[in-house]
Amino acid sequence: MKNFRLIITVLLGAILTSCNGFLDMNPTNASNASKAIGSPDDAQVSLNGIMRGISTSSLYGRRLLLYGDVKGGDVTIVSTGRGDDALYEFNHTPTSGTYSGFWQGLYNAVMQVNTLLRNIDNCEASGVEGFDWYKGSALALRAMFYFDLTRLYGLPYNMDKSSYGVPDITEPLGAMAQPTRATVEDNYKRITSDLDQAVQLMSGNKAHINGFMDYYAALAERARVRLFMDNYSGALEDARKIIESGVFTLYEPSQWVASWSAQNGSESILELGMDSESNLGSSSLGYYYLRLQQVSGASGFFVASDYFLNRLGEDHDDVRWGVMDHDETSAARLGSCYKYVGGTSLKGDGKESFAAVNIKLIRLSEIYLIASECALREGDASAAAAYLNAIRRRSPSLSPSDASTVSLQMILNERSKEFFGEGLRFFDLIRLNQRIEFNDDFQNVPISTRSKVIDRTFRKIVLPIPQDEINANPAIADEQNPAYV
Amino acid sequence: MRKHLLMACACLFVSFFSHAQTRTVSGTVLSASDNSPVAGASVIISGTKTGTATDIDGNFSIPVKAGEGVSLEFSSIGFKNLSAEARDGMKVFLVPDETLLDDVIVVAYGTAKKSSYAGSAVRVGGEQLQGPSNVNFESALSGKVSGLQITSSTGQPGNMPNLRIRGIGSMNASNEPLYIIDDVPVTSGNGGQMSSRLYTTNSLLNSLNPEDIESISVLKDAAASSLYGSRAANGVIIITTKRGSGKPLVTLNASVGFTPSWATDNYETASVQENVNMLYSVFHDYQTQSKGASDDVASAYALKQLNRRFNRHGYQFSTQGSGKYENVIISEYDNSGRGGKYFDWDDAYFRTAVSQNYDLSVSGSTPTASYYTSLGYTSEQGRLKINSFERISARVNVNQKVGKAVELFTRASYAKSTKKGYNDSRNTGANLFMQTRNLLWGLYWPTDYSTGEDWTARYGSYAQNNIYYNKEWDNSSKTNSSSISETFTIHLLPGLDLKSVLSYDNNTVRESIYYSAKHFNGSATKGSIDEMRTIYEKTVSSTTGNFTRSFGSHSIGLMAGFEAEKNKTDFTRSSGENLAISTLHTVASAGSYSANAYSWGNSLLSLISKADYNWKEKYFASASYRRDGSSRLSPDTRWGGFWSLAGAWRLSQETFMKEQDVVSNLRLRASYGKNGTLPSDNYGYMNLISYVSPYMGEPGGRITTLGNSGVKWETSYSSNIGLDFGLFTDALSGSVEYFNRDSRDLLQDVPISLATGFSTTLENIGEINNHGLEIELNGTLMNRKNLTWTASFNTSFLKSSVTKLYNGADIIWEDPTGGDGRAQFIYREGESTLAFYGYEWAGVDKTNGKSVYFVNDPKDREAGDFIYKGRGATYDYRKANYTVIGDATPWASGGFGTQLNFMGFDFTANFIYKLGGKLYDGAYKDVADDGYYWERMRAKSYYKNMWTPTHTDGTEPALSGLDLTDAMQYSSRHLKSATFLRLKSVILGYTLPSTLTQKMLISKARLWFSGGNLLTLSKYKEADPEVNQYGTRGWETPIGKSYVFGIDINF
Repeated sequence: MKNFRLIITVLLGAILTSCNGFLDMNPTNASNASKAIGSPDDAQVSLNGIMRGISTSSLYGRRLLLYGDVKGGDVTIVSTGRGDDALYEFNHTPTSGTYSGFWQGLYNAVMQVNTLLRNIDNCEASGVEGFDWYKGSALALRAMFYFDLTRLYGLPYNMDKSSYGVPDITEPLGAMAQPTRATVEDNYKRITSDLDQAVQLMSGNKAHINGFMDYYAALAERARVRLFMDNYSGALEDARKIIESGVFTLYEPSQWVASWSAQNGSESILELGMDSESNLGSSSLGYYYLRLQQVSGASGFFVASDYFLNRLGEDHDDVRWGVMDHDETSAARLGSCYKYVGGTSLKGDGKESFAAVNIKLIRLSEIYLIASECALREGDASAAAAYLNAIRRRSPSLSPSDASTVSLQMILNERSKEFFGEGLRFFDLIRLNQRIEFNDDFQNVPISTRSKVIDRTFRKIVLPIPQDEINANPAIADEQNPAYV
Repeated sequence: MRKHLLMACACLFVSFFSHAQTRTVSGTVLSASDNSPVAGASVIISGTKTGTATDIDGNFSIPVKAGEGVSLEFSSIGFKNLSAEARDGMKVFLVPDETLLDDVIVVAYGTAKKSSYAGSAVRVGGEQLQGPSNVNFESALSGKVSGLQITSSTGQPGNMPNLRIRGIGSMNASNEPLYIIDDVPVTSGNGGQMSSRLYTTNSLLNSLNPEDIESISVLKDAAASSLYGSRAANGVIIITTKRGSGKPLVTLNASVGFTPSWATDNYETASVQENVNMLYSVFHDYQTQSKGASDDVASAYALKQLNRRFNRHGYQFSTQGSGKYENVIISEYDNSGRGGKYFDWDDAYFRTAVSQNYDLSVSGSTPTASYYTSLGYTSEQGRLKINSFERISARVNVNQKVGKAVELFTRASYAKSTKKGYNDSRNTGANLFMQTRNLLWGLYWPTDYSTGEDWTARYGSYAQNNIYYNKEWDNSSKTNSSSISETFTIHLLPGLDLKSVLSYDNNTVRESIYYSAKHFNGSATKGSIDEMRTIYEKTVSSTTGNFTRSFGSHSIGLMAGFEAEKNKTDFTRSSGENLAISTLHTVASAGSYSANAYSWGNSLLSLISKADYNWKEKYFASASYRRDGSSRLSPDTRWGGFWSLAGAWRLSQETFMKEQDVVSNLRLRASYGKNGTLPSDNYGYMNLISYVSPYMGEPGGRITTLGNSGVKWETSYSSNIGLDFGLFTDALSGSVEYFNRDSRDLLQDVPISLATGFSTTLENIGEINNHGLEIELNGTLMNRKNLTWTASFNTSFLKSSVTKLYNGADIIWEDPTGGDGRAQFIYREGESTLAFYGYEWAGVDKTNGKSVYFVNDPKDREAGDFIYKGRGATYDYRKANYTVIGDATPWASGGFGTQLNFMGFDFTANFIYKLGGKLYDGAYKDVADDGYYWERMRAKSYYKNMWTPTHTDGTEPALSGLDLTDAMQYSSRHLKSATFLRLKSVILGYTLPSTLTQKMLISKARLWFSGGNLLTLSKYKEADPEVNQYGTRGWETPIGKSYVFGIDINF
């Protein structure tokens, strides 16, 4: 009995003395956010997290790119109900088909950037240096997020810039904040000022860094933004800087098809890195363009429209046919696109399965075509033709343009052919106020939520502010886009 | 054997001194049933207050007056009182009192006599858990305890039912009760990580073999549960496992069962012909309505659509006329050989499931030790051919007395449970049940008629040919669970015990999920395998001192102690893609790997104390206090106090009650107290950057939590008033209880502007009130030598409502079950905690077959496109407003049962019922789809009830080709009556006459049959009315009707 008392006493003692810290438990895959950054290396870790965060299928991993193509007329569907066809149908309401993942995901990304910038400011205030590049990269990312947010929710800059854009948030917000929408013009002011700062901050280190928003990626993004703002001279200036830097080179026509089965090619200005951990599998962009049952479960979500095929069909030897394969409707109709699976043999891009290829966000080809359009607008037709022909070479049977033949329509067509599946078409057409025709008659899919032909006066060219936002933030309730009131 | 358990609470009348001429009488008190010593028995000299108690070996010694004629009165809990003449060296055999035994319940940190316990607690004996299924104990509890609601969301084997005690007290944190097994809190709930992927897991409590359970106590009010403090707000379930007693006893149980069918109809489909006709009508209507086409054009179009879809399966279609409601002639196409034949997918996917159960246990005791060992095996097939559950379990409980003052109780258990082929998601490709009801036409065949090869393409309805694909995937969840606990009890002084419990639980859950490169989920990765290991470790140490003493008419009990608990969970995952060979489902064979590993945990430190007092077993009072500190809260808020006060008055002990013989027992009790619920997030108070976002092989961090360091416990204040009664010498007994539970500081995920980067933040804001009335009745209808007949009944009336919300703002939420957003609810001040929220569907307009919705404009009752039944209405749901359309909480629910023993036969029937309340049918929208456009099948009931120009009384809207999404909206169209009555279990047994069996050394042999869910009566006929805890139904696998045959043998 004495022994047992002893045991109990020892036991009691052991437990009581171990109380210190007994109740302090910490996770092993996270740490306190406010102490996360103390050095530039730490900032890199946050940037990595941001890049990974935006690679999800609801943002740049798939949907944001689909948005730009599926709504642009170059893409059509064989049947409704296969998935994401609400984009094609413009079947959006504040409560269903909201695609609120864009709103939530992009604002989450903005918050990550704002937190990183705040943490960097705190570090710099305490004397730690060496953050310029990281700050620049973060600002350029924020500009990209706002550019996309503004285009998703606000009217084109050259249509009505005094209309509502999106809330302009540049600081980490408290839980109770209720921000309201700024104007489209204010948004573009923020975007350009962020990009200007970014370019400035990163000019000390112009090295191209695969997978990140580096100096040239920021320039390229600014060229895109300036084009969208009809600032042709500015866009041309940025485009030329990139082209003339020599850091990137165009693919030869003979290399073009193979470029889709390699990562970080010579044209890639900004590419999102994907790997086995971020493999989107059947949620990936490439999967959505696969032919029905090409691999088990592939649903043939989206196929090229007749209009696109006719356009590309101007030249049957166009190298860009190399990523197209027949769709489910006929062995002759090359309506399935294999760009984002490493080509028609589903090779991937050399590291993982075909569903984990990198997402090429900005390519040099686009910069050439931006340069071409801007040169034309600025009155330099021969430069315009030269820039266009650098890309037009990919259609060997078509005669090159020259100063007398080059036209906006030719450039636009070239953009359509070159960037099919890369998320640009819809935004090109609404920027240029062109009609968008949908190939609904291809398989006679019934569409009741939009007409066969739309233009930018169609009010659903912007998404609804999600009802969840309005519920939690009544201040924004009166600012819903008119199509959804 | 129960006497050991009862020692601690035995109220002894101890008085040592007597001054007359004395002699000393010594003796031993033994149990008449097995000659084991009875410790702690009270020995009192008749006519005096002088007495003593027996020691651990049953010995006593007492000074009595010299001379003859002194008699002693012996009493002990669980035995009938006895008086005998005092004689030195006497041996007294106490006869166990079965009826009294049931009145002892295991409660928080001890046991109590029901008659002296002021809290609200219900004991269910292990024998009452017998039933058709031996997988878990929870289903057997169904309908047996008032105020305990047990629901099941799926019929897949190994599924863990959901328990709610006295309603819902939390919006954000857990509503699960706390589970205690043999004095120690255990890890319960989901085992492993599959709930987010497959919406079902292998529950951790599945490791407990119900056969090992001696009793279950359900603690309902604060007085009963607040000793468990911060985790007790949702009530406590205490499980006590068996111990040995008496002569060695070997029991062997074996049973085999069959589940040939579901318990009810489930969305029975319209015939192929009817479904083809409906699809034809939809296409036809599309052409006429949307394109303005003529009937001829529309009919041709519709036939073309049908042919386009089903030619490939070997059928073609024609009609005689061209109207919308033509009967479509289905004929053979391309000499497919399929004309007139349809494939039976039910038959291909489902089976008569077989279950087996074997239990072997050996138990017994010697004067100083007792033992119970068991080995059990149970296996249960699902009706889905791929789905199964299996468990092997073993347990050793040994109690050893060391000397006179020390007792050691060692419990060790081990179980391995395996669950396979489970999946409850609403995925069109994977949910077999949904496919048979909604997606798999009889026109589809698992082979291609032209080539004879397996059909591998997705069918047009989005179903997959899982006859083929079921060979291309598998999953399993294997839980190895082991638990060891050691209890030291030291009897320091008479009435003063020190008890220390140390326990360690380890649940290792190994999960794997495999898809071959041929499978539609593995094709993008050329085959994938995930192997996951989650190890749950729980260490608990508690030490309590217990003191009981009587002074004259006063008895007191005091208890104080402390407890420390640490929970740690380690998770590792390794995944492989691009699998080399289809026969090896291992990460090792993969072309590329990825992995992850991390851990999380929480800890709790507590001080506990309790005081009991009673006067003459007539007036009772008790109080408890517990102080808890939890790692889940910030250092500023982590300590909290929880307490209770209770009192009882046993009116039947009053002299004025002794003069009548109608009321044999009457007791009034009341309690009030406070307990809590912890936030579910381990680190919710911290602002976290999580390093879970690696990018291109480099680490990446993202802000994942907007923490709130002010977050604290949810607290609940409960009061309880109960009346226990027994009439006609307890032939009719029962209780009536009223309770009120105010849950405050409820954690709310307060929705915030998404522009902050987050969608919600956690705040202690909400308040919920639950109050209700519970009635339990037990009656002995007949008690003859060869015939006993008893019946029991219970009912609970519950009102559960939200009383306060952040800024008074509504919170709209969806039923999380299955992740399919099947039903929408609203938390709104003054409304039920389960208030369905949606459009108010007014029915079908008789003139045109369209759905009509009441607009419910809060300002103008008549606002709308037209007036319908006196209110503003519209055909377009988009013009209507959401409103509260119903409440899932039933008006009353409970169960009743009866038991009959006659000449060796025993018969038990248990019913459960629910009266009032609504259920939301989140699956019917798929099978009563009136306008959406795929190759979906519809239910027979829809076909029968749909509006057509010749059936204008139809209660379902007309078929339309206009892409109507009405059926998918949250509306009262899918709201049904939840009232039902179900014969949950029935058992018929026959015990062979012992004269026959004893020749074979068998002390008892019983043959039995048990049936599960044999009869269901309900207003709602479409599917099973026994729905999940949210009152909703989706595409979960239904539960079956089972028939089990078994034999129990004791040696």
